[in-house]
Amino acid sequence: MSDTHDKTQTLQTAISDHVPDGASIAFGGMGGRDPEAAAREIIRQEKTGLRVVDDARTTLFDAMVGAGCVDEYVGSWVGTSLISQGHNVRRAVEEGVPKDLTMQDVSNFGSSLMFFAGAMNVPFVPTRSMLGTDIAEHNDDIEVIDDPFGSGEPLAAVPAATPDVAIIHVQQADRYGNAHIYGNTVNDHLKVRAADTTIITCEEVVPSETIAESPELTKIPFYTVDSVVEVPFGSHPWHCYGHYYADLPFYREYGLRSQDYEEFQDWLDEWIVPHEEYLENVGADRLARLEELEQTINGGKI
Amino acid sequence: MTGETDPEGDGGATDRSPLDVANPDEPADDYSLTELLAVTAAREIDDGEMAFIGVGMSLISGVLAKYTHAPRCQLVTESGYVGSRPPGVVQSISDSVLGVDSLVATDQMQIFVDNQRGLFDVGIIGAGQIDKYGNTNSTVVTGAEGTYENPKVRLPGSGGSNDIMTSCGRTIVMMRQRARAFTSELDYVTAPGYLDGPGAREELGFPGGGPETVITDMAVFGFDEETKEMYLRSTHPGIEVEEVREMVQWDLNVADDVGTTPVPTRREVAMLRTIDPTDTVLRDTDRIYEIEFDEWADTMERNWKRLMQMEDDE
Repeated sequence: MSDTHDKTQTLQTAISDHVPDGASIAFGGMGGRDPEAAAREIIRQEKTGLRVVDDARTTLFDAMVGAGCVDEYVGSWVGTSLISQGHNVRRAVEEGVPKDLTMQDVSNFGSSLMFFAGAMNVPFVPTRSMLGTDIAEHNDDIEVIDDPFGSGEPLAAVPAATPDVAIIHVQQADRYGNAHIYGNTVNDHLKVRAADTTIITCEEVVPSETIAESPELTKIPFYTVDSVVEVPFGSHPWHCYGHYYADLPFYREYGLRSQDYEEFQDWLDEWIVPHEEYLENVGADRLARLEELEQTINGGKI
Repeated sequence: MTGETDPEGDGGATDRSPLDVANPDEPADDYSLTELLAVTAAREIDDGEMAFIGVGMSLISGVLAKYTHAPRCQLVTESGYVGSRPPGVVQSISDSVLGVDSLVATDQMQIFVDNQRGLFDVGIIGAGQIDKYGNTNSTVVTGAEGTYENPKVRLPGSGGSNDIMTSCGRTIVMMRQRARAFTSELDYVTAPGYLDGPGAREELGFPGGGPETVITDMAVFGFDEETKEMYLRSTHPGIEVEEVREMVQWDLNVADDVGTTPVPTRREVAMLRTIDPTDTVLRDTDRIYEIEFDEWADTMERNWKRLMQMEDDE
């Protein structure tokens, strides 16, 4: 399995080595600390037939759908932001453009539980959520069962999710994959344990001594990790807690330009480029301003 | 197991008018119906409660409550933060402003485990459609020809709304009162209200009490204790009962003492506009679609500093 050897790779190599066409993938973060750069690299490498098994997804998922990378989604919420709909997701589901997207809904707790079951290596875990609603009705993988201990209580059995790959962006990791997460964790600690292969992208690769100074922050341990990639501003245009604030005007433009399919093709041509070039196009001043904003609210926490 | 914590150690200061507003407790003359919607929802959160809130309008109401009448309420977000006092609008569920003053930064699994355990008092959700029993749809609009697989409109999906309605002590639903939103037949049940009527929630063993209040940009609705059917509690100033009934597909019951929704105070409106200076959430204007990066960043930062200073002053 994943032992203590140097797992650092370039973003390009990590994606080409670990994300084959047709793979099932879970992404980390949730409207904050999302692995946006990794998703753009997936688009750049023109991956197809992907199955995204996830929780709530924003711009990275919408862009992959619009670029034709994704055939199926299992999860709890899709959109882009507060100020825009997920236009590519809507086009794919409603009109089959650029191709059909199959949707399988769960609730947010349902998404946590499917990764929990996967991480536990059991077929399902029970919950009271989703009972009595169309989520359980239309999702063929969710079964309503009676308490086997005879209380008569109905429970929704949520099946395990075991994606081929988990891709998680964090603030810092060492070269072996010990990953510190500052702020909220969302489902990331479960996704890496449920997945067969894990890619960690991080703002900074740090020495193991730095990890060992605060082991309580190691939400993702080395033995669940296969690849470590240093990707500064890897969550732009979203937040990375302690590093930079979200770039609302950037994702606003995404929302406006993704309304029309042709215009979205221009957006892809402009922004699906190697990450270093992407950051140059965003601009150093703008990135520095986003760092300042984050310092104003969470300065000194990292 | 209550939200009765007092992290500020100030015993819950109640006199909060640090914003420069004359006569802060007087009714505001200048407010929009979406601002009234946000203020009315904020007032549903009592001081000291654990309030489970989602993105957008529900979050702005939670933040407003925290800065006005309910300083000791504790905001819970599904991404893992508890107890935050964000100094401004929350754009997304992991917005790093939720890190400000948060007491807990955990994971989503833990938040929903605590929710199912019955530890949260009140939840606020949004929805696209609702029926008379308070069941909501935020997944698909199928239209006459469509299906779940091939809908007319694909909406974002449950998010945490299903889990909140199932297990929170009580749930507030915030919606815009659009045509066909109050429907006699939902295209899809995303979050459970009273399902098909009295006793249905109990039969399924739901920990939470279900929908208590529905608030729109026209009116406020409650649910009859016996029949579990929605009824009209109050209309917003300038809105007639008949106008609301026309926007509801079923024969809407109206409370005998149907009243007018209390208007916001000058403090509440000023606070709301300080929390969201670029009109990101309520969008009475197109400002958020027009503002340039530098002005956006400067405006956000200036107001964050104002609200963080306000925290420091207490």
